Amino acid sequence: MGQCLRYQMHWEDLEEYQALTFLTRNEILCIHDTFLKLCPPGKYYKEVTLTMDQVSSLPALRVNPFRDRICRVFSHNDVFSFEDVLGMASVFSEQACPSLKIEYAFRIYDFNENGFIDEEDLQRIILRLLNSDDVSEDLLIDLTTHVLSESDLDNDNMLSFSEFEHAMAKSPDFMNSFRIHFWGF
Amino acid sequence: MAFVLNVPETPDDWSQEPSPYDEDEVHHSFHQLIQEQSQWVGASGSEAGLQLTPGPAALLTVVDGDHQAGPGPEGAPAYSAATLRILASMPSRTIGRSRGAIISQYYNRTMQLRRCGRRPLLGAEGRGARPSLRSLDLELDPTAREEEEKRALLVTELQGLTGAQQDQLLRGMPLSLAEKRCLRQESRTPSGKQRGWQAQRGVWSCCSRLKYGCVLAFHNLGLGLLSGLSALTPWRYTLKRIGGQFGSSVLSYFLFLKTLLVSNALLLLPLLAFIVGVQAAFPPDPRGPAPTFTGLELLTGAGYFTHTVMYYGYYSNFTLNQPCTHPPDGAQCTPGAGDLPYNMPLAYLFTMGAIFFTTGITLVYSMSRSFGESYRVGSTLGIHAITVFCSWDYKVTQKWASRLQQDNLRTQLKELLAEWQLRQRPRSVCGRLRRAAVLLLVWFLCLATVLGCAVGVYTFSELMIQSPVATGQEVGLLVLPLVVSLANLLVPYLYRLLATLERHESPVLEVYVAVCRNLLLKAILLGILCYHWLGRRVGALKGQCWEDFVGQELYRFVVMDFIFTLLDTLFGELVWRLVSEKKSRSRRKPEFDIAGNLLQLIYGQTLTWLGVLFCPLLPAVQVLKLLLLFYVKKTSLMANCQAPRRPWLASHMSTVFLTLLCFPSFLGAAVFLCSAIWQVKPSSTCGPFQTLDTMYEAGKVWVRHLQRAGPRVSWLPWVYHYLLENTFLIFLVSALLLAVIYLNIQVVKGQRKVICLLKEQISNEGEDKMFLINKLHSVYEKKERSR
Repeated sequence: MGQCLRYQMHWEDLEEYQALTFLTRNEILCIHDTFLKLCPPGKYYKEVTLTMDQVSSLPALRVNPFRDRICRVFSHNDVFSFEDVLGMASVFSEQACPSLKIEYAFRIYDFNENGFIDEEDLQRIILRLLNSDDVSEDLLIDLTTHVLSESDLDNDNMLSFSEFEHAMAKSPDFMNSFRIHFWGF
Repeated sequence: MAFVLNVPETPDDWSQEPSPYDEDEVHHSFHQLIQEQSQWVGASGSEAGLQLTPGPAALLTVVDGDHQAGPGPEGAPAYSAATLRILASMPSRTIGRSRGAIISQYYNRTMQLRRCGRRPLLGAEGRGARPSLRSLDLELDPTAREEEEKRALLVTELQGLTGAQQDQLLRGMPLSLAEKRCLRQESRTPSGKQRGWQAQRGVWSCCSRLKYGCVLAFHNLGLGLLSGLSALTPWRYTLKRIGGQFGSSVLSYFLFLKTLLVSNALLLLPLLAFIVGVQAAFPPDPRGPAPTFTGLELLTGAGYFTHTVMYYGYYSNFTLNQPCTHPPDGAQCTPGAGDLPYNMPLAYLFTMGAIFFTTGITLVYSMSRSFGESYRVGSTLGIHAITVFCSWDYKVTQKWASRLQQDNLRTQLKELLAEWQLRQRPRSVCGRLRRAAVLLLVWFLCLATVLGCAVGVYTFSELMIQSPVATGQEVGLLVLPLVVSLANLLVPYLYRLLATLERHESPVLEVYVAVCRNLLLKAILLGILCYHWLGRRVGALKGQCWEDFVGQELYRFVVMDFIFTLLDTLFGELVWRLVSEKKSRSRRKPEFDIAGNLLQLIYGQTLTWLGVLFCPLLPAVQVLKLLLLFYVKKTSLMANCQAPRRPWLASHMSTVFLTLLCFPSFLGAAVFLCSAIWQVKPSSTCGPFQTLDTMYEAGKVWVRHLQRAGPRVSWLPWVYHYLLENTFLIFLVSALLLAVIYLNIQVVKGQRKVICLLKEQISNEGEDKMFLINKLHSVYEKKERSR
């Protein structure tokens, strides 16, 4: 447990973070606390980076089936600085604008990072959602076909970002589910 | 025309498909490709067909047979690495992550807006966070600027905005926070000032530290107060727990309950302030000896409660606290304390009208907002896509809750696919006829049940009129509410039984049909009761206070509804769970019936709205009832139930139920109120409208009084005569509304057509793209084979 100095964050920094993210001051300080608990002792919080494993083990992400993708999308060079964590929390916050959420959701669901959500990505999403390996092939293929027939507009067997955005736009279910409230311990 | 394709060789490993997220890969290979193509076209002269000309050694394509990329989608050819390289650098794939593209897009946006001479409308940024392809000049434009230049220009543009607008723009950009900070700092502090600021920093360090310490102390105090306040918000933790354990579908029921509770409490405030409180301060003369309080009053509402502020009959029909103009015979007229006269009938009428009007407007507004959030022109819901992408709730943080989510998701997906397969199986004519016959039979049985209940309730109510209940036997008054509540409780179970006969194609349709049937039953029963009260009771109770009686009836109905809901919870959930545990040993808990419970809430709220005119304290009873119901339902849910397995799109369903609350429920209550105010003659022995022909006449009397009062308030009678009494205005407004609605329908129709055309166009573009990719691939294959 890190024993960094408690009131390290400058008032100006707090104001700046609050202006540039969708988080409230309360939430930023809560994330600051969590960050300090994970960082090694005696260091300034702005210089410390967390590994992807450390961030994956946060209670907010622990049971999430996409936690490795979330960590990969929001980290830089496979580590998280404090600002990276804040950026991640901002996208998942309640007040974040839908376009930002859709953008990052697309990046998270694009497993093979080819800029599209293709059939392979869809199958991996379904397997992760069900968290079991004994999912029948029929179910996977049928479901993938259905999703593509609903959302794929240009018939290339992949979902581009525009198609994904079109499918998720005006869907309060998406906004409600793509939300993480609490980042503490 | 010679068509040369050369992909530059790179030392990277070939086995990995190049990712568009590598910043260096952006656009370069495509741009170079096209440049080379134009060079080679000029150099090699024109030749028909595709030709592969060997170029300089450095630009020689290497398509290594060993490095075929991974298998493509089933059925599609496996593309070579070179093809994949080109595909990976397509603009549509790379633009999302290219920092330069994002920055230049935002620069273009703000520059364009400044050219138009107005501030950027930040709310009107309909386009998403990702830049659009068209507005970005690809490198085909030889004057394309470097990223740094674009960034500097963006900073200049940002400086033209106010601070809040800058922040708003920066917040929505899909860049990392560090870059946003750089942009913000550059746009806030121009470089000239920066040096001066830094010089002052050393002097201010101890002052700023002190200031910072004080501010932080205050901040912590403020946070502590805020968290204390938020802890006072009722049920926040409970609702979070319910949502985390049972999902957002069950949570929607409890949120609806909480909304109804708050709205009833708000409804109560003007009633307390303008009607109940005032009359309680000036109690009228008692009409006779007050009956003693027996416990039965809590159920029947009669007896001790009759001559209290609870019912209509208690309220005075004159102006309270009027400075007396005619001194009583003999005595001197002493002006009492509190000299403001208060016209009770007028206050009663206006308060009732005002609360119904506000409730109506609020309901319509929230319904339209909820509808607008989820309705899309010209496209269906896309349930599979939504299930895959939206069904995992990221808020869930507990392991067992996530396991439950997975189980539910699995069941949901399996059911979805099973329905699809059922639909796909070609049904014979015989099967279709059989299905139609079964559907008709079930609907016939349901309608027959409704009719039977309606006839039964009507006969029973007539019986109650023929044989009035004696004063000692007030339990007899409870029989009608009992019968109606029993019908409301048992008939839905019958419907559920009948619904197992018909097998619907989709589970959502099943829910809709069940809701429809339930709603029909409740609406018809309430309609008959309203006719019974306003039509028959008024005649039967001539000379007595019929409003009191109707108010008491509605009180009884509300109380009975509560009792039967408790019974339903007890038997439907607790006993069912015990029985199923003993019998089936499968530990299958009963599902929480969301639709049925929501309809019950709407029914209760309709009763409250119906009764508020005759029993101004009925919202208070409803508030108490909802409070108790919350705790009972929550306890029963935690102990006995499990989350429903059927898919329940929470946002969609909450729109539906809000519509149901507005349209049949509130509209019916408003119609009842209007006919009570405009058409029925109030009783002549009690209440604020004793001497008038209709309740509405109180308003007319007041307007006549105002006309006599003088020229100062002459605009009010004018407004009354020409805007309210004159029906021309109402016709005009209705005609305008109809025209607006019709125009909107036409606009939506047009949009739907355009969307169809655009979808077809996108589909055609996709075909073109596939054609080109396949051609590209065949070119490389030919080249490889010819080596």
